[in-house]
Amino acid sequence: MLRDLLHRLRAVFRRTSVERDLDDELRFHVERQTEKYVRTGLTPVEAARRVRLEFGGLDQVKERCRDARGVGLWEGAARNLRYACRALVKRPGFAGVVILTLALGIGGNSAVFSAINAVLLRPLAFPEADQLMLLEQYEPKTANPATFVASLRLADWQRMNGTFQAITGYYPDEISETSGELPERIAAAWVGPRFFQVWGVIPALGRIFTPEEERFGGPGVVVISERFWARRFGSDPNVLGRPLRVGQQWYPIVGVMPASFLFPLRDVDVWRPSPLDAPYAQDRRSTWFTVVGRLKPGITATQAQADLDRIQAELGAKYPATDAALAVRVRPLKDVIVGGVGRSLWLLFAAVSLLLLIACTNVAALLLARTADRQQEISIRYSLGASRASIIRQLLTEALVLAALGSLVGLLVAAGALRMFHVLAGSLPRIAELRLDWTLVAYSLSCAAGATLLFGLLPAVRHTSRQTGESLAHRSRSGIPATYRLHWLLVGVQITLAVPLLFGAGLLLRSFDALGRVSPGFEFDRVLTFRITGNWGETTDIEALARRIDLTLDALRSLPGIGAAATSLAAPGVPFQRQTEFRILEGEATPDQRIAASTRVVSEGYFGTVRIPVVAGEACPREPAAPAAVVNRRFAELYVPGATPIGRHVEHVPTNPFLAAGRIVGVVADAREDGLNREPPAIVYWCQSAPVPAPLFLVRTRAEPMAMADTIRRKLQELEPRRSMYEVMPLDERLSDTLAENRLRTALLSAFALTAVTLAAVGLYGTLSYLVSMRRREIGVRLAMGARRHDIATALLRQGILVSLTGCLVGLWLAAALGRAVSGMLYAISPLDVPTFAGVLLLMTGTAVLSSLWPAVRAARVDPMRVLREE
Amino acid sequence: MEDDRIDLPQGTLDLLILRTLALGPQHGWAISERIQQVSREVLQVPQGSLYPALHRLERRGWITAEWGISDNNRRAKYYALTKKGRNQLATEAQSWRKLIAAVALVMDMK
Repeated sequence: MLRDLLHRLRAVFRRTSVERDLDDELRFHVERQTEKYVRTGLTPVEAARRVRLEFGGLDQVKERCRDARGVGLWEGAARNLRYACRALVKRPGFAGVVILTLALGIGGNSAVFSAINAVLLRPLAFPEADQLMLLEQYEPKTANPATFVASLRLADWQRMNGTFQAITGYYPDEISETSGELPERIAAAWVGPRFFQVWGVIPALGRIFTPEEERFGGPGVVVISERFWARRFGSDPNVLGRPLRVGQQWYPIVGVMPASFLFPLRDVDVWRPSPLDAPYAQDRRSTWFTVVGRLKPGITATQAQADLDRIQAELGAKYPATDAALAVRVRPLKDVIVGGVGRSLWLLFAAVSLLLLIACTNVAALLLARTADRQQEISIRYSLGASRASIIRQLLTEALVLAALGSLVGLLVAAGALRMFHVLAGSLPRIAELRLDWTLVAYSLSCAAGATLLFGLLPAVRHTSRQTGESLAHRSRSGIPATYRLHWLLVGVQITLAVPLLFGAGLLLRSFDALGRVSPGFEFDRVLTFRITGNWGETTDIEALARRIDLTLDALRSLPGIGAAATSLAAPGVPFQRQTEFRILEGEATPDQRIAASTRVVSEGYFGTVRIPVVAGEACPREPAAPAAVVNRRFAELYVPGATPIGRHVEHVPTNPFLAAGRIVGVVADAREDGLNREPPAIVYWCQSAPVPAPLFLVRTRAEPMAMADTIRRKLQELEPRRSMYEVMPLDERLSDTLAENRLRTALLSAFALTAVTLAAVGLYGTLSYLVSMRRREIGVRLAMGARRHDIATALLRQGILVSLTGCLVGLWLAAALGRAVSGMLYAISPLDVPTFAGVLLLMTGTAVLSSLWPAVRAARVDPMRVLREE
Repeated sequence: MEDDRIDLPQGTLDLLILRTLALGPQHGWAISERIQQVSREVLQVPQGSLYPALHRLERRGWITAEWGISDNNRRAKYYALTKKGRNQLATEAQSWRKLIAAVALVMDMK
């Protein structure tokens, strides 16, 4: 192996001396052989002739020697490259079309790949991010969702585990900071001990919390974000020690976190310790932490899971009332953050890969036609002693140059596409991490290399067979291959590949359309939504909090131009929580039946504001004396069949100390509360206006909702000057945000499908035009012999349509097989949707007719006299 | 001249070259002459294939080449068998004999 390499290297670097040696060696042989024949009595001329006959062409032998040494591959590369560039410059039109086609294919592919890389493949932007895990507590026996974790349980997990370097927790909050001239709303995060250690991020300035500060009663301090530092303190380096005033307390700043640290929320400005040993945290049922841990090096998620399973089992034995029913789930944080976007991205990646294949097929057809044009040149090179391998190498070099240029232009396309992603997909996870980098460049270059083999090899192999070379003598100058089967095949393949794309895009479009037409069961236009700052400290006096919210609601209702106002824990139609389990206190308990329903917490006036009709009983009353609830019709039908649920009591399972059993006061109509694309679930609406300090306010306006924002802001300023209003947006915008991923993938897939169809049409047109120009002579002769122009045009047209139809049918079969891949993303549309099938068939046939028409007309216009004269 | 230039299978030419070089270093022309003489003019080395074969064997490391002075005082490239080439010759000679014997058995069957 090494000797081989040295040999080749010597051949490359000392090329002239190697060539001279070869010349000398062969000349020596020829001379000796000639002398030998002269000795046997031949004249020197005859002897030389005989040696030449025996030897064959000297150049051919030399070429074979070079091949045998393996020189050609290296030294030929530079020469091939020069030839290739020269050949392409001579045909700028051809080169331009090929490069553009490849740029579309490679660019699109690279852009989607970089999205996959940024979102799915690359680790999160923390040191050793693979070690970061989300720890959730849930109840395996019921359908209860993962809930927040109690401080005590977090402390137990921390103390008892052997697989984590550290476990911490956090919860977001909003505070009004009042040390400045005007109160400012600040997004804050309360964090458990060792929070920053878990992330492995060090502050840009100052320090993180000390263990004393993380204990109850320790010194109260805060760490601020770089953004807040810049905004509020003008990035003053002496900010450390300066106090922030929150509520009645002053807290000195001890550190500034770098701008890249955006956890747990993008807009967190202040981090404060939340001690686990605080008196208010000593109830195992008081849960508020979201828990994150960092694994020890070398520990897998499975091992950590086993560890926590064991710990929770021990805790269950020790605290049967609160912990026995709980289990722990350990999931990589990245999976949690990325969520379901992966499926969409892989779908798009499959789509652009099809597109790239189509582009390659297209280019293969173009190259095939071009190589056929160069038959003459190839034959001459054969007779000069070139080996087949060397000719194939040269043709492949040309293809490689095209592909490299294509991938360079493709990178520009990709860069543009990335910018578009940022705009269109701003709400998708991790999209901010998307950028043009070396991985992308390397990827698109390897795309180019793969593409070269795909589209370059076919014409190279096909047009360099020995017979082609040797038959040079027997051919006329205009000699052309008799069949064009391969050309037609390539056209068919392009159409076949374009069809599944078109079909997929059609399905998504129809599904999106169906989604737009669905009746959600509530009215979301002309509703303004917003929040008003509040902080968790207010929850110590729930009644005061409820009074404040109710007063605000009254003030809102008094405004002209406002029809109704209410609060809700979450926006209607936006997925909020998984279902939880309930128990109905009255009636016979059926042990087998589990009552699962979605939970919503709404204030008086909610149903009127979003116009969900009350079917029986009454809507939520104003601050009920005893807990009250409203259920929807589906809940009533499923769980209290044949009776009225009104007057019965529902209760969470397991019982929640903060949510006592509530009396059902009414039944409302079904609404798609958990997402427009889901059937209305069974729902329990708890009647409570202030479940959290900053619930979502919903206001029905008579005019354009945003036009009311200012009036409302002024009214609130009048009412409570210290609070600010934020997240102001119309309800329909919130709903539309939940469909962002859906919309993006539909738009992108449609764009890819359109490109694919265009490429296929160009391919069909190009191939037909090429055939017509190649067969001009034949057509001319046929016309001269009396064929009708009409027949010639129809024959071509028919062939074009036939090939397209065949490709289309195979493509549809393929599409039907692939339809399952998108079935999970469809709403109310079957993956075998007949109208979509028909539409695709119609569109492809129409495209085929259009692209065949002009070449067919040109064929019919051939002037027999001119063609025959050209001969 | 009668056309005796049967296209020897590639392996055969390689074997003949290696066997000839086993007697001592030689240049290309002498190799082909020697094969011709020893085979009593039956085997004609295809002249066009000789040198590509030599270069291929050199690349595989079975023979080495060195420039020297020929018997008529001219610069000539001499090829010599390497240790690896000797081993290769032994293997190939053995399988060649096996083949000959086997073919003979088949040809002689009644």
